[in-house]
Amino acid sequence: MLSLTAEDIQAILLSLKVALTATLLALPLGFATAWLMVFRSFRGKVLLEVLVNLPLTLPPVVIGYFLLLLLGKNGWAGRFLDAWGIHFIFTWKAAVIASATVGFPLLVRSVRLGMESIDRQLIETSRSLGARWFDTLITVVLPLSIRGILAGSSLMFARSLGEFGATIIVAGNIPGITQTIPLAIYDYASSPSSTMMALSLCLVAVVISVLVLFVHEVLSRNIEKQEAA
Amino acid sequence: MRLQIDVAKTQGHFTLQAAAAVEGQRTGIFGQSGCGKSTLVHLISGLLQPDRGEIAIDGLTLFSSEKKISLPPEQRRIAIVFQQAMLFPHLGVKANLLYGYKRCSKANRRIDPQAIIDVLQLEPLLNRGVNRLSGGEKQRVALGRSVLSNPRLLLMDEPLSALDDTLRFQIIPYLKSVSAEFGIPYLFISHSVLEMQLMTDRILVMKEGKIIEETSPDQLARNRMATSQTGYLNLLHLEEPSVENGLYSYPWGSGRLLVSDGQEGKTSLFELSSRDIILFKQHPKAISARNLLACTVTELFRSDGRLGVELSSCGKKLIAEIVRSAAEELDITEGSTIFAAIKASSFRRLD
Amino acid sequence: MLQSIRRSAILLLLFLLTSAPAMAGELNLSVAASMKEVINELTGNYEKTHPGITFVKNFGASGALAGQIENGAPADLFIAANSEWMDYLKGKNLVDRKSKKTFAYNTLVFAGSTGKKVTSMRDLVKLDKIAIGSPKSVPAGEYATTAIRNAGLEQQVQGKLVMAKDVRECLMYAELGEVDGSFVYRTDALQGKKAKLLFTVPQKLYPRVVYPMALTVKAATNREAQSFHAYLQGSEAKSVLKKYGFVLK
Repeated sequence: MLSLTAEDIQAILLSLKVALTATLLALPLGFATAWLMVFRSFRGKVLLEVLVNLPLTLPPVVIGYFLLLLLGKNGWAGRFLDAWGIHFIFTWKAAVIASATVGFPLLVRSVRLGMESIDRQLIETSRSLGARWFDTLITVVLPLSIRGILAGSSLMFARSLGEFGATIIVAGNIPGITQTIPLAIYDYASSPSSTMMALSLCLVAVVISVLVLFVHEVLSRNIEKQEAA
Repeated sequence: MRLQIDVAKTQGHFTLQAAAAVEGQRTGIFGQSGCGKSTLVHLISGLLQPDRGEIAIDGLTLFSSEKKISLPPEQRRIAIVFQQAMLFPHLGVKANLLYGYKRCSKANRRIDPQAIIDVLQLEPLLNRGVNRLSGGEKQRVALGRSVLSNPRLLLMDEPLSALDDTLRFQIIPYLKSVSAEFGIPYLFISHSVLEMQLMTDRILVMKEGKIIEETSPDQLARNRMATSQTGYLNLLHLEEPSVENGLYSYPWGSGRLLVSDGQEGKTSLFELSSRDIILFKQHPKAISARNLLACTVTELFRSDGRLGVELSSCGKKLIAEIVRSAAEELDITEGSTIFAAIKASSFRRLD
Repeated sequence: MLQSIRRSAILLLLFLLTSAPAMAGELNLSVAASMKEVINELTGNYEKTHPGITFVKNFGASGALAGQIENGAPADLFIAANSEWMDYLKGKNLVDRKSKKTFAYNTLVFAGSTGKKVTSMRDLVKLDKIAIGSPKSVPAGEYATTAIRNAGLEQQVQGKLVMAKDVRECLMYAELGEVDGSFVYRTDALQGKKAKLLFTVPQKLYPRVVYPMALTVKAATNREAQSFHAYLQGSEAKSVLKKYGFVLK
């Protein structure tokens, strides 16, 4: 029943690689952004909130299009990158950027929730005991927001696995290089004679998602147990 | 320790304008909820910035809006003990204790961790996680942690309010001994007159964001006598009782007091409400109260609608509380001789 | 209150379930993407001379169109860019065999806006990215992969091929310069502005590009459909085809 071609396996491995890279890449920035939004007040904070949440409401193709405008050969940033020989469009790096952009608000949201549940007085205590803000961030805020970080990471990972709209625009559908699972399925689905093969790949996508969610649940429970000890 | 403060801070509808200069190792800040005590704590510790003003400790300027100085909290070396112990849940007891110590420069490390562990009896707790500690244990660890950061000032923001009575009076000796042994001045914030009496030498009284007076704990207790639920609480340290007829007989000055709830072989702290002392013009021949003291009235003071009567007996002082009409009836004036009756059960043991 | 909610719900349901009745004089065309300009012009002309007829046009990859028709999409006339997809629908008895005619022919070329020197199939190995229509559903892509295979270059172009959803998207990639070049039809290359025709793919490497057209079984008896079908075989249609660069024989 489950028949996967060599190209399918490539797509699966590529999906995992892209999702993992996107998540790891977005983590430091996501953590920093969440910290800014929870613990700092500054002018224009509302603007930052809107910007961070924008990818959640924009259609992924629009995001892809904007990324293309930004990073394409004639794009605002693309022009400079091109001079240095750095190309993103139609490479797996573009797929990573697409997934990272689309999943970023999900990551920030979860990390925020984790951080907001930290009692402010713990942070005040840390500061009054001689820890500078960066010290407090690493020794108090970070450990106590692990749950949020994990939840956000797994959510982002899962979202990246399913990312299509932005990816196809900015990374293109290149088998072996950027053809992730959703793009491969799209290819199959366009052709009426290949629907069964699409099914196999869909099944794999479901299994991976279930595994990710399962791992996330187990990890969260472990942390709860640790805290209660 | 000399603390100079003159600050203003507006937050929403609340404005704080506090000015005071206090000297001493054990100072209290007294006020009801919402008077601004916590805001003041945050301003002194640097967690909140005043809108304008100056804060200085022992001549060192912590904040000055004029000179544009504002030391960040981690540089002020002012440790805070909160109402909730605020132990770091992801660290064990030992790591919590040493958190401030590690961040204190070697030059400033005057206090030895082992000494604190001994004084606060933390040895059995050292390898535990913080989540299974009792309230009192947590507060002791929190205290130890604050002291080990070698602060120049300890700010205790209602540290006992979350504890039950027994626990409260068990922790107080720790607080006092730590301060005495290691010479750390503290600012003790509370809304409890009794805690003020036990913990402080001078008190700043706050109301609606202002420091309205500077007074002594005894004076505060007298002023609050009428409005307090418990009147003026006489505090007595009694020791070495003998047991007589099921009651504990404690030496008190040149006489003795009979107490129901005593403890053999120990020094105990008792509170006796001014309202539990009944005054007689003449010696009642027989009375059920087991304590009958011949006293001289040394002072009379007014507290709202009541009269506080300072009595001298057996070389010691007690304060009783009566209504004005009673004073007139019994013709009580300074110097009068009066008899005070106190039931053995009126003495409440605190520790 | 409840009564009116129930009534509205029933009306809504009926509205949703009832398929929109085919308007009289409306013809649905499913046409290969490369025929877009030709068909637009022809339908424009036809509408002028036949008031009361309107066209609903659906352009895309022939494979995708065939799939849509198989799944019940309304179509009266189908023009594919290869025989495979027409035969596919024939096998499902969805097209009227008698109406099957050849509409036009075309040639496969390689076009792009790259600065690199590209004059033959062998030069493809020098390039970074090459756009082709996804061979699973786009005839132009199938022709291209056949040509690549027959030229013995299959291994060397691995990882260079960017899949497009139809031949027009291929052209767009070439125009934008995000790929070095694309396999498109000559007729598409003629439409290009920035992309130049770099070389013609040798015919011996791939089967001839042929555009079969047929009426669907549903439209076989539709007088208006038959009439348009005849028009497409007429001289006006042929001249428009020639204008856009299609081959007639």
